[in-house]
Parts: sequence; structure tokens; C-alpha cells
Amino acid sequence: MAPALHAFLLRLKAMFAKRRLDRDMAEELEFHQVLLREKLLRQGVPLAEVDAATSRTFGNSARWHERLRELWQFPALEHLLRDTAFSLRMLRKSPGFTSVAVLTLGLGVGANMAIFSLINGLLLRPLPVPHSEELVVLRMEEGGAEPEYSFCTPFFRGLETESEVFANVFAYNGDTLLVRDGSGNEQVNGMLVSGQFFQALQTPPLLGRYLTTEDDRRGGNPMGLAVVISEHYWERRFNRDPGVVGKKLVIANTPFTVVGVMPKRFIGADPTQRPEIFAPLSADPIIDAPRNHIDAGTHAWWLTVVARLKPGVTLIQANAALEKVSGAVLHQTDDPAYMTGEERAHFHFAAESGSQGYAYARTLFRKPLLAMFSMCGGILLLACLNLASLSMARGGARERELATRLAMGASRSRLIHQLLVESLLIALAGTAAGLAAAPLVSRSLAAMLMSGSALNTGVYLDTNLDLRAFGFAALIAVAATILIGLLPALQATTGNLSDQIKEGQYASLAHQRQRILPRLLLASEVGLALVLVIGAGLLSTSLVRLFKSGAGFDPKGLVNIAFSMDKQDLQGDALMRLYQEIGEGLSHQPGVENVSFEFIVPLSHRGWNGGYQAPGHSSQLIYMNSVGPGYFATMRIPLQYGREFRWSDTNAAGLKIILNESAAQLLFPGQNALGGQVVYSRVKTSYEVVGVVGNSKYRDMRTLAPPIGYVPIMQDTQPKPSLTAVVRVDGPQTPLAGAARALAARLAPTIPPPVFTTVNEVLDRAMSAERLMALLSIYFAACALLVTGIGLYGTLAYATARRTSEIGIRMALGADRARVMGMVFRQNAAIAFTGAVAGLIAALLATRALSSFLYGTSTRDPLVLAASVLALGAVASAASLLPALRAARIEPMAAIRCE
Amino acid sequence: MGKDTDTGELIQGTLEMLILKALMRGPLHGYAVAEWIQETSQQVLKVEEGALYPALHRLELRGLLSAKWGASENNRRAKFYQLTAEGRKRLDAESQRWARLSAAVAFVMQAP
Repeated sequence: MAPALHAFLLRLKAMFAKRRLDRDMAEELEFHQVLLREKLLRQGVPLAEVDAATSRTFGNSARWHERLRELWQFPALEHLLRDTAFSLRMLRKSPGFTSVAVLTLGLGVGANMAIFSLINGLLLRPLPVPHSEELVVLRMEEGGAEPEYSFCTPFFRGLETESEVFANVFAYNGDTLLVRDGSGNEQVNGMLVSGQFFQALQTPPLLGRYLTTEDDRRGGNPMGLAVVISEHYWERRFNRDPGVVGKKLVIANTPFTVVGVMPKRFIGADPTQRPEIFAPLSADPIIDAPRNHIDAGTHAWWLTVVARLKPGVTLIQANAALEKVSGAVLHQTDDPAYMTGEERAHFHFAAESGSQGYAYARTLFRKPLLAMFSMCGGILLLACLNLASLSMARGGARERELATRLAMGASRSRLIHQLLVESLLIALAGTAAGLAAAPLVSRSLAAMLMSGSALNTGVYLDTNLDLRAFGFAALIAVAATILIGLLPALQATTGNLSDQIKEGQYASLAHQRQRILPRLLLASEVGLALVLVIGAGLLSTSLVRLFKSGAGFDPKGLVNIAFSMDKQDLQGDALMRLYQEIGEGLSHQPGVENVSFEFIVPLSHRGWNGGYQAPGHSSQLIYMNSVGPGYFATMRIPLQYGREFRWSDTNAAGLKIILNESAAQLLFPGQNALGGQVVYSRVKTSYEVVGVVGNSKYRDMRTLAPPIGYVPIMQDTQPKPSLTAVVRVDGPQTPLAGAARALAARLAPTIPPPVFTTVNEVLDRAMSAERLMALLSIYFAACALLVTGIGLYGTLAYATARRTSEIGIRMALGADRARVMGMVFRQNAAIAFTGAVAGLIAALLATRALSSFLYGTSTRDPLVLAASVLALGAVASAASLLPALRAARIEPMAAIRCE
Repeated sequence: MGKDTDTGELIQGTLEMLILKALMRGPLHGYAVAEWIQETSQQVLKVEEGALYPALHRLELRGLLSAKWGASENNRRAKFYQLTAEGRKRLDAESQRWARLSAAVAFVMQAP
């Protein structure tokens, strides 16, 4: 056995038998002494002197024992333990420094971990399926800037059989299923999946079987329609009944047979969804009735398409193969009218890495998350810089201690080692504090993000801390340790020993004040803080401007009640009569002033548009909505000319349209639009303009009010439009929810309960991403100011405390208090000024990245810049004033005497 | 700390060799090792306890010696050290090296 290994094993054994080993050593040494004593006695040493003689010959037995003990220990481990104990003692001796250090670091780490776990959940974590690296997400390129990820059924079916490079190709669409539950219906998150979905994701079912291509046919497999349920749904609905396979579930009034249960870890290919029921894609006409995404062909872009590469096939090969088939698939589709010639020429399919699956939320949140992550990184860097400069200042105060230790024989590396252990302890404590807070923070952040109404309900973001997150935390801790510890340790252990020991209270400290490094650190801290403050200022100014810009309607007291009419039998005029009855029923509720209906809920990120033209003019893109009578009065959108719709505006009365101002100007430039004709370019139907109304925002708050055309709901081309009632209420709104439910149950018992939201909620949601970013950035900026203030104060306080006697001498020689104050204050003022200038320049460069988040605010907004500099200046002054005041209160006699 | 480091280094290698040699004829406890070296060297080499025990333990850690507790001649519990196969091999190597070295030193010193 190699000697080193032998020694390692023996030492390892010794670790666990410390006491026995100790006893043995003592006994061995004692045995030697006994024999020595006997020998001395034999040699004739008198009994009275034999003990003294023995110990003289033998030497210091305790020391020999200690040396033996050291031999049996791991030197590195022993040093570490000793350093840790010592560092803990040192940290406990300065509780102020320690708690500031741990808190600021905890803050930085907590924020970073929170954002990181969001990024991890949304962007980084691979799908929990075997060989997820073989998965690719398919997209369509049309020569435009943005690729398209939503496929129509014919395109997908054209690609599904592509087997040259793909082992499987599958498509899915997250959907809400209406499942019969006892007497009523409940809405369940589900997913429509194509035949190869489960085969491609390679996760065996817990019970039964999964869906195959056999099931993905109109009418299902020969045995009928089949579904697979999740383990969670199995538990909730079937109480983990082992006989669940073969049972029926009535979905959209049609019986489906449960053929299998998927285990909990299986989530499909979208990491932000947790479907409970997987149904075959071909069952869409049943499940989504009366809509039919399959027969809609190239008019329904509803599928996400993912493929699994054959083993060994590269992404480049896959893309080449897709390029080759693109023309043929495009050619097969029956309706070529939806694409311009230019788009057609550029059109091709492409594949990209899909090991993390596909989530629509990614396209929305990637940029805000990365922006927030860099803000967090800034905070963490700030915390580290702050601790570095604080511990440098502290290192200055500890110079004598360190010099004494060096003089007593400690090597420089051992000293640095110990100082690093000290900062490691701080970093560990800070990271632990941050980690403890992170899950809570990230969960609430995720909730805030996901409440953005651009997404359907049922979107789920897994922010659990996994191995990657912990790895990231460890990385932070190590980086923080080095940042905090190494520089101050190196600085503190250089220099002339005897000088430092001799100089009691440091009457002359010229060398100390000239040091450039601590000032550089502090200045960069100030600069960084200014960047964060400016970022926060810009984001919050933009939010305020966004809010002030208004939506074009009055959200106060406005309530939305969404009715889902898909699964009931009335349609056309009969359905309109039902809506009219519902509207009348609602208008009799207490406090209700107006009631109307709308198809598209403004600011919900949904929309519908088309090309419209005035006769003889070119076609213009107009955003559309279909609304009920009295809509503009209810919304308080001003009616400028003409009239509102009436219940009598049916198809028989001729097609009518109301334009908003910008649509009127676009279609009838310089003319009176009222009474004019508007033609829908695609099918050449003509509408009479009966009114012009004020502009209002459409899809979201950020985009300016687009040209909008309103058509009456009575003339809607859909057979069963699901409309939302808009109700203007004076007084409490919540009783209306119950009233609406009761009304729906009485008038239309087969529809699911209507969904109640206030328009203020919609508005909040429409600005949720902006608000979240503004809130976070303000929070970060406040932290940055606080941390910087502590840093400026702490370093100056240390420095001033050590100059007490110098200041005493100055005062004794005639310097007045104001002068002393100025002298101390100036020290920080120079640093703050340098930092602010550097920060301003950095901010001008860095905030450019923010410009895409800003609404009506330039990144060089002079007001924001000035206010930020002012805020920072105020904090820096306050932090510097305290030590300066304290310096001015020094009593010269006392200060000199204490030397 | 400072005193015994530079002389100790020199002695250490030699002392270890002497210890291995002392144990060649059978297991001994620490005191007997010291005595044997002192007697065999005709009282010239006096082994200090402060160096002896660390050396013994170091050799044990490196696997050149094995240790066992047993009864001493005066019936006390004592720790007996014994050469391992590894130790025996080391002793051979050290003896040869020493012979070469001392012969070489002798040549130099006897040069006219």
C-alpha cells in the first residue's frame, strides 16, 4: 500500500477513536518515563531528586504528546477547524459588521436565487423525459423577423410522417375540457395530443396504456374514443382506484374511455402546463365544439409541433431535411390564399433544440427575466463590493492584531487562509439566508408574472430549487467569498510589521489614506448603485406614464362577466334573445347603471383584425370587435357622431359598423365617415358606418390605440359567439357575481358558470409585467442605496475612529470644528462624486437595454437622471455626515491623552 | 518551534534508519529502542524522547512499522513496535545507501 494512502486510512480511523488514541499516547509516554525513572534509581540518583531528573531528561511530556497528536491528524482539516472556530469568535466580537454583512449578502443572494429559479423553471430545466436532448421544436420561417411556432393541422399532418431524420413527430394544444362531474360540469386543464405524442416522450404509463396513432383518428380507435389521465387527476377524481382503466369520462357531453394513467413526473412537452386529461387530437371537433380546428384547415393556427430526432441525427441534418419538404407540404394544403407571394417564397420549416420543451410564456418573459436577473446580479455585486470595502476598512483597524500574529510566527498564507475562512463564513451565512428566502420570493414572483392575462389560466411555473439552482448558489457563495475576502486579506497582510505594531493609535496615517484600492471599490459601489437607481427611475416613470395614458375607457366600476355558449343548443337570433334576456336580468341588479356585451375583452392580448377599405381606396388593417347595444355608454367611450347599435340591428337590417376616430381618419381621410360604406376586402361585404367613437386601447396598454371597427353582436358570423357582459356598477361589485351565476343557471342551465372579473383586474394584469419590473427595480434601487449608504458610512466611520488622535492634534493646534468636519466629509465626497460620474456614464450605456420596456420615456430622460443623482447624493451625504459630526465632537485633550 | 527543525531534519532520516535497524531482531517498545541504539553506539548516539516518539509514530503511519500493545518485562502494558515487510525492505535500502554514503565520506576524509 502506498505510504500516503496508509497514513490517510490510519488518520481517518484515528478521527473516530480520538480518545482511545489519546489515552494510548499518554500511556506510552508514561511507560517510558517509568522505565527512565527506574534506570535513574539504579544509577544511584537519590530518591528525592529522581522525579526532577526524570523530567529533565524526558523533557516536556505535554509537548511530545501534542506533537504525536498532530501527527495523527489531517493538517488541512485541523487548520480549517481551528480557523473556523477563531473566525466565529472574531465575527461574534463585531456583531454589527457581521449582521450587516450577512443581511446585505442574504438580500443579494435571495434576489438572485429567486430570479434564477424562475429562469431555471422557464428557460433552463430540461423536460423530465428520457433523452430530452433528442427533442426539437419545429417552427415556420416566412422571411419576417419573428418565426411562427403555431402550426395549422394540414401542415402538421404533412410533417407527421416525415421519417428520414425524425423518429417521431407530434403536435399538441393545451385546452380546457368540460368534464361531467355528478350533475354539473367542471372545467379541467387538458391537452389534445397527436398519435405519436406519448411514443415520442418515452414515458411508460402508470396504469393501462398510452394513446397511439390508432386513437388519433376521427371517432377514435375501433373501440371508441379514448383518453389518458394524469396521476393527479386519478387521485382527485378516482381516488386512486386501480380499476380506473375502462371507466368512462363524459367530456363535452361525449363519453370517452380512460385507457391509462400517466405518472406524476410526466408533464407533456410544455413545462408551463400540467394537463390532467390527454385526449386525441382528432377529437377536437367534439371537445371544442362548435369550433373545429381541424376542418378549419389553414385558418386555425393552434398546434405546437415537436419532434424527436433519430439517434445520431444532428440539428443541421434535420433542418436540411425540413427545408427539402417545406415546398411539398405547402403545396398540399388546400387553401393557398392566406399567404402573400413573398412570404411563400421565403417559407420553410425549421427545427431548434427542444430539450426544454416549448412554452409560450418564454417568448413573453425571457427579456424581462433576463433584465431582472442582471439587476439582481448588480445588487449582489454591490453587496460584495460593499463587504469588501467594509472588511478592508476593518482590516485596517485589525492591522495590529494581524501584525502581531505575523510576528508571532503565523505564515502569511495561514493568515490569508484564516481571513478567507472568515469571509467564507459570512458568504455561507448570507447564501443560507438568501436560499431560505428564495422559494417564497420566487413563488410570489411566479404568481405575479403568470397572472399576466396574456396567458390562459392553468399556466404553471415550477420554481422548485433543483440541483442546478443549488449549484448556482454554491457558485455565488464561492464568488462572494473571493470578492469579499481575498482583496482585504491580501491588503491587510502586507506592509511593515514593526511599523504597524509600534504605531499605537496611529498618529500619522498618511500611507493609509493614500491607498487607492478601497476608494476605487467604494466609488464603483456608488456608480453601480446609481445605475440601479436610474434603471428603477426609468421603469417606474414609464409605468406612471403608461398608467396615466389611460385605456380610452373608464375602468372604474366596470365588471366583466364571461359567458361560454359553446356547449348549448341555441344559436343565431335565438341566442341573441338569450343575451338580451341576460342583459335585462343584469340591469335590474342593485347598483347597475348600464349593461352591454363585447366579444373581444380590451387589453386581454386577444384580438381579431382584417383588411377593410372605403370604396375606391386601398385596404387598411382594422382591428375588430363585435359589441352589443349601449356598449359605448357602458364603457364611457365618447360617441362623437351617429348612434350606438340597437337590438334591432340584425342581419335583416343591413350590415352596420361603428368606427373609432383613428379608423375613421384612416378609411375616410379628411371626410365625414358617418353614412359612408366600408368594404371587408376579403369577401367584399359592405358595411354602413352608423357612428364614430373615441379611440381606446385594444390588445394591451403599451400599444397606442389602433384603428378599430365595431360590428353589432347581432350580425356576428359565428353561430354561437361566447360573449362577455360589461356591466357598469355604482357601489359594491361582488354581489353581482352571485346574481350572474343565478341568472345563468335560470336562463341557460346547460352552460358552465359565468366568469366574473373586474376591469380593474384586467387593467392590472395588462400592466403586470411592467408593474412587476418597476416594483422590483424600485426595491433593488432602495436596497442599493441602503447598502451603499452603509458602505460609505462604515468605511468612513472606521477611518475616522482611527484618526482620532490625529484629529485631536489638529484641533489642539487650532483647527476649528467646521474645518475638521469638512476634512472628514470631503473624503467621501470625492469618492461619491467620482462614483456618480462613472455611474452616470455606465447608466447611459446600460439602460439602452431597457429601452424596449419603456413607455413614453427616453433612457436619457433628464428628470429621471437628475432625480437619481440627487437621491444618491442625499444618501451619500447623510452617510458621510454622521462620521464627520462625530469627528467634530472629538475633545482634543481626551483624544491625545488616549495615545 | 525554530530550534529543532533544521537539525531535526538531518537526524530524522538517520534516526528512522536506526529505529528500523533496532527493530530488525524483533518487536521492542520505544524505551528499548532508545536504549538499544544508545548501547550499541557505545553511548555516542543519545536518542531524545522528543524525537523518538514522533519518528516511531511517523513510521507507523507510513506503514513501515506495525504496533501492538503487550506486556513488558516488568509486566506493564507497553506499545511494541515491529517491522512490517515494507519496513524490512526499507531497512535494506537504507543500509545500502548508508554504506555507500559513509564509504564515500570516508574516502573524502581520508584523502591526503
